[in-house]
Amino acid sequence: MAERKIRVLLAKLGLDSHTVGVTVIAQSLRDAGMEVIYTGLRQTPDMVVQAALQEDVDVIGISSLSGAQMQHIPKVLDKLREEEIDDKLVVVGGVIPDEDADSLLASGVDRVFTMGAKTSEIAEFIREWWDEQQSSHASVSSEGA
Amino acid sequence: MTAAPRPSPDEDDRLEAAERRWRQDVLDPALARTGQRQEAFRTQQLHWPVQDVYTPRDLEAIGFDYLKDLGFPGEFPYTRGTTPGGYRQDFWKMLQVTGFGTAKDSSERWSKMLEQGLNGFIIEYDLPTTNGYDSDHPLAEGEVARAGTAIDTLPDMVQALDLPWDKLQHLNSVCNAPQPVNLAMILAALEEKGIDPASFTLQMSNAILIEYTCVGRYIYPPKHGLRIATDCIEYTIRNCPNWIPITVVSAQIYAARANPVQELAFGFSIAMEYLDATLERGFDIDEVAPYWSFVTGLEMDFMEAVSKLRAYRKIWARLMKERYGARKPESMELRLISSPGTTGLTLQQPLNNIARLAIQMLACAAGGGAYAITTPLHDEAHALPTEEAVRTGIAVQHIVAHETGIADTVDPFAGAYMLEVMTKRMEDEVMAEIEKIDAMGGALAAIEAGYFQKELARSQRARFSEIEDGVRKQVGVNHLVDPDEDRAIEVFKLGQEAERKQVDQLTRIRRDRDEEMVAKALERVREAAMGDENLVPPILDAVKALATQGEICDVMRDVFGVYHPDSLTSGV
Repeated sequence: MAERKIRVLLAKLGLDSHTVGVTVIAQSLRDAGMEVIYTGLRQTPDMVVQAALQEDVDVIGISSLSGAQMQHIPKVLDKLREEEIDDKLVVVGGVIPDEDADSLLASGVDRVFTMGAKTSEIAEFIREWWDEQQSSHASVSSEGA
Repeated sequence: MTAAPRPSPDEDDRLEAAERRWRQDVLDPALARTGQRQEAFRTQQLHWPVQDVYTPRDLEAIGFDYLKDLGFPGEFPYTRGTTPGGYRQDFWKMLQVTGFGTAKDSSERWSKMLEQGLNGFIIEYDLPTTNGYDSDHPLAEGEVARAGTAIDTLPDMVQALDLPWDKLQHLNSVCNAPQPVNLAMILAALEEKGIDPASFTLQMSNAILIEYTCVGRYIYPPKHGLRIATDCIEYTIRNCPNWIPITVVSAQIYAARANPVQELAFGFSIAMEYLDATLERGFDIDEVAPYWSFVTGLEMDFMEAVSKLRAYRKIWARLMKERYGARKPESMELRLISSPGTTGLTLQQPLNNIARLAIQMLACAAGGGAYAITTPLHDEAHALPTEEAVRTGIAVQHIVAHETGIADTVDPFAGAYMLEVMTKRMEDEVMAEIEKIDAMGGALAAIEAGYFQKELARSQRARFSEIEDGVRKQVGVNHLVDPDEDRAIEVFKLGQEAERKQVDQLTRIRRDRDEEMVAKALERVREAAMGDENLVPPILDAVKALATQGEICDVMRDVFGVYHPDSLTSGV
């Protein structure tokens, strides 16, 4: 059976309309063999979590450049917990001041990529997480057997 | 420098022989000893091959004709500038793009900037305002007063325009999708303050088609966006003839990583879409073309930047004269603002950005012709600029103007062999791309089909790959990287206070206004939207009745619908 592709939801929250970053990331993750679903602009935290559920994604990537990251992203994390799908990898990218990045990490974001991060670095981070998940699942099922 | 006279056939032979000898006897032995830094050299964004040397033979090869291609400043084809005396007559107007917090916060900063040496500024509104939402809309949470100033109602605009009017020559208002509301608020605020609209120049962006292409702050479907924009243009030409109702900010297309050819071709195609829509309302080309204005972006490849500025003027002149049959010089004279720092500022080692900005500013001045230059700021990659960054940005403008001598002759690099070759090639490639867009049915059709969006996505990916793969060196990013760099920089902070104050003020105004008057005024806006009456007058009445920005836009949302791009037109 062919290996399942990693499914990534890329999201823009609120009224932030800077799309260069998310466009480039979408293409680079596709080039890295992942399946990318993009929410489009003007999403609420609830819409993003519903999309993650419906599309059954493994990773949620949030792109933020307008400065409202602290308003929206913690709400996404809360909703993921409410829906009991907080096992997804959540990565954030964009213009994020250091102290905001620290708070986001503390509230459950797995990694913050600020401007200057390489697209290959993001793809590698996701791939490594995925491989780790796969191997831990495999070891759980072999223990079960 | 002046342009070399065209060589005669004899001279051409002599030059060819001389070059052959130089290559054989001088260049080749030198390269045999040291080699070249790299195998091939190309320009940064267009990847045009760069020759080792350029000679008069290169001008001969492109059929360069001094009078046809250059001429004199202030005359067709305006390659050398739109005014005869260039920056010897006066420096460019020095502007900055800014806005944050409440109207009061912004008017205080703007007043200070005018006192510090700027001639004007570009008002940046927050995202709720530019998207036509009030500050208490659920989508606005966290965005209010953040990346620009918040304007919900007329009292906000009255407060925002609390400025030292004796120092202000030029005001640029960047608000595309809700432009008629923005225009109406400015008109009503000036009336309330007793300021004559003829005492300064208001320049409006109003180029909604760019929002669908790359910026994303659209509301209605593109054809309705175009109608609304055209209403503003028509109203302004008839009522405020010294204002500039349309600015095609090709810098935004450039900031979305278009290459210079795409920037100009997409920008001109969009400009012509508005021009055609305005002409359909019965104007003559010479009545409207002088109102069209542009903002261009600049980056670090100096020769690409200078040739782009020169080609920009030449192509506009040709389009107006040859395609539209304009007769008045003003119709052919490109009204251009140059905007350095559009891309290419780095988060890493942010002080390096001051050097980058100075070089780009120099390219602006060398390319000439811009009647205004906006100062970008070195810490913009981090957050809202600090006051120190604002001051340094102003200083960079004055250093280039007063300390380099670049502004003391008109079009100082004219005749440089490489520059003329590049300017001509830029012109030819932009014209070819414009023709391609024409064949699709023009800019509106190209946007509706997702062509611009797809081309930009491709261009963005290529530009990022070059930096990541190290093909293009960027100091602090992939060259001279400091692995221990402390990226801490003093960052301008804005608390939650502004959002709370803004929402309080909006609530108070809604509570105290005459609801019946508001409802009647909004109904008039609806009637106008449903027919083909110009929308500005009823919106002006609604604004004066204290209808909010969001309420007026909601009426139009109801009539025109809301634009939702699909996977084809989103570019992703």
